[in-house]
Amino acid sequence: MTTASPKLRIQEVALHYDDGQTRALDGVSLEVAPGEFVAIVGPSGSGKSSLLNVIGTLEQPTAGQVYLDGKAYSEIRDASLFRRENIGFVFQSFNLIPTLTALENVVVPTVGGSGRVAAHRSRAQALLAQLGLGARMGHLPGKLSGGERQRVAIARALINNPRMILADEPTGSLDSANAEQVLDILKGVIKQQGLAMIMVTHDAKVSAHADRIIHMRDGRIEQEGGT
Amino acid sequence: MTLLEFAISNLRRRAARSGLTMSAIALGIAAVVALTSIAWGFEASWQKANDARGTDLIVTRVASENTMPTPFREERVRQVLAAMPHVHEVVGLLSEMLTVSEDAPPVFVFGWVYGSYLWDHLKLQQGHWPREPMEDGVVIGSIAAETLHKKVGDFIEIEGKRFAVIGLFESSAVVENGALIMTLDQAQLITDKPGKVNVLNIKLDTTASEAEVQAIKERVKRELPGYVAITSGELVRKNAVVRISKAMSNATILIAGLVGALVVFNTMLMSINERTKEIGILLALGWQRATVMKLVFSEAVVLSLLGGAAGILVGIGIAWGLEHVELMRGKIDPVFSVPFCFAVLGLSVLLGICGGIYPALKAARMQPSAALRYE
Ligand SMILES: Nc1ncnc2c1ncn2[C@@H]1O[C@H](COP(=O)(O)OP(=O)(O)OP(=O)(O)O)[C@@H](O)[C@H]1O
Ligand SMILES: [Mg+2]
Repeated sequence: MTTASPKLRIQEVALHYDDGQTRALDGVSLEVAPGEFVAIVGPSGSGKSSLLNVIGTLEQPTAGQVYLDGKAYSEIRDASLFRRENIGFVFQSFNLIPTLTALENVVVPTVGGSGRVAAHRSRAQALLAQLGLGARMGHLPGKLSGGERQRVAIARALINNPRMILADEPTGSLDSANAEQVLDILKGVIKQQGLAMIMVTHDAKVSAHADRIIHMRDGRIEQEGGT
Repeated sequence: MTLLEFAISNLRRRAARSGLTMSAIALGIAAVVALTSIAWGFEASWQKANDARGTDLIVTRVASENTMPTPFREERVRQVLAAMPHVHEVVGLLSEMLTVSEDAPPVFVFGWVYGSYLWDHLKLQQGHWPREPMEDGVVIGSIAAETLHKKVGDFIEIEGKRFAVIGLFESSAVVENGALIMTLDQAQLITDKPGKVNVLNIKLDTTASEAEVQAIKERVKRELPGYVAITSGELVRKNAVVRISKAMSNATILIAGLVGALVVFNTMLMSINERTKEIGILLALGWQRATVMKLVFSEAVVLSLLGGAAGILVGIGIAWGLEHVELMRGKIDPVFSVPFCFAVLGLSVLLGICGGIYPALKAARMQPSAALRYE
C-alpha cells in the first residue's frame, strides 16, 4: 500500500553501535500512511526495538532520514518537545508509576509542560472513560488487571494528541481476550483520528490485525506483506 | 498533577527510607538549632545584663577574654576615668563563679559598689537591699533562689563566711536572676581581693555622642596602658566562652550541613538508580531533561525542608530542656527568632540542593533508550 503523502517516511536509516561493529539497523526504508497499522515481526535482535527508537527520536540514526508529516527529524531542535507533541509510546510492561492513580498516570506526560492542570485532567478523565475505565480512575495500577493497566497506558499515550503510536509488544503481557480488546481500541483510535501506528509483536494473532506486516532480520527489512 | 505533587508521591513510595533520611537531617538541624541558640543566648544574656544596668563602657585589663576578667587595683584607674569628659559614674564590679551549696551547681556571685547605679534596674520582690557598704547580707536572684532552695531569712555560706539572704530580686537578664549579689566591699573581703575589681562600669551622661564615646576609648588606650574601654557588645563578643560556643555552633552548622547533604545525596542517588527505567519512560513520554532535574531537586528539597522543619522543633525542645537543667539554669537564655528559623530552613534547602545536584544531573543525562532497556 502506497499513498501520495505518507504520514511517516523512513529513508535508508542505519543505526550502528560500537563504531559499526553492531548494526542494529542497516538501511531501512519504509512509508506509513495516515490511519495505517503496521506490524513489525522478526527474530530477537533483528532491530525491531531499534527501529521504534529511531522513529520515536529516542535514538539518532547513524545515517538516513525520517520524516513525520513532511518534517525531517534532522531539523528537530527539541526532541523532548517533539515526542511530547507527536508520539505516543505503549510498552510491553505497561510501565505505569505504581504510586500514582490511573488518572494521575495518564497526565504524567503533561507534567512540567504547558497548559492548565485542570484541562489535562479533564482530558485524561474523558480518555479513561472512553477506554472503559470511568470507574477505575482513582485506582492504583496494583489494583488493576493487566488489560486495564494497558488501557491506562494507552490513555497516557493519547493524552497529548499524538500523530503516531509506537508500540513495542503491547499485548505481550496480556491474555488473548485482553490482547484482542487492546488491539481493537488502538485500531479504533488510529482509524478514527488518522494516526499512524507501528507495533512490534511476536504474536501472529496480533500481526493478523495489521494492515501490513514487515519482517525484519539483521537490521534490514526482509520481506513486506499484507495480511 | 503538578511536579511537586509527583515529587511528594515519589517520596511516599519509599516512606521508610524518606523518613530515615528526614530523621538524619532533623538530628543535624536540631543540633545546629540547639547549639546556635545557646551560643547566641550566652552572648545575648551578658549583653542584656550590661544593657539593663545602663553601662555604656566597660574598662578591663587588655588581655582579659573572660566573662570574669582578671581583677585589678581599681583606685587609680577609676580616678583617671572619672576625670574624663561626659563620664557620669565609674563603679567597680567583682564577679566570681562559686559553689555555695554542695547539692547545687555553682552560681555567679557579684559584688557591686554599694549605692551605685548598678542596683537601680533590679526589682526587689522581698526583703531589702544592703543598707551599708559592709553589710553581711546577699540578695538572691529568682532563679538562684530556686536552684539553691533559699529564701529571704535563710543563711548561705560563701567562701567560708555566713551571709544572710536579705532580699529576693528579679532582673530582666537571666544571668542576674541566676546570681547572688553583695556589696563590692564584702566580695573583695571574702575573695581576698581588697581594692580589686574585674571591670569598671562607666555610665556616661546623656549628651555623649558616638564620636565622644570613641574619643574616651582612645584616651583610655593612651592614658591607661594595659587597659581597654569597650562597649558591652564588644566585651561579650571577645568573651572566650561566647567565642568558643559560637565556634562550636559554626562547626556544628558545617558538620550538619555536610552530613545532611551526604544523606540527601545518598538517598537521591539510590532512588534514581532504582528508577532508571521510570526516568527512561518519562523521557520517552516527552519530559524535558530540565523537568527530570526539577523533579529530583524537588524531591531532595522536600526531604531536606521537612527534615529541617522537624529539626527546628526538636532543637528548640533540646535548648529548652538544657535551659531547665539545674546546671544550666540561669546561665543561658537561648535565643530563637523568626529570621533564625528561616535561616535554618534556608540551610536545609541548601543542603538538599547540594545533595541533589549530582543525582539530578545524573537522572537528566540518562539516555532514554538505554534507560528503557534497563531491568
Ligand atoms: N546500546 C546498544 N549498544 C550495542 N548494541 C545494541 C544496543 N542496543 C541494541 N543493540 C543491539 O542491536 C541489535 C538490535 O536490538 P533490538 O533491541 O532492536 O532487537 P529486537 O529486534 O527488539 O529484539 P527483541 O525481540 O529481543 O526485543 C541487537 O543485536 C542488540 O544487541
Ligand atoms: Mg525489542
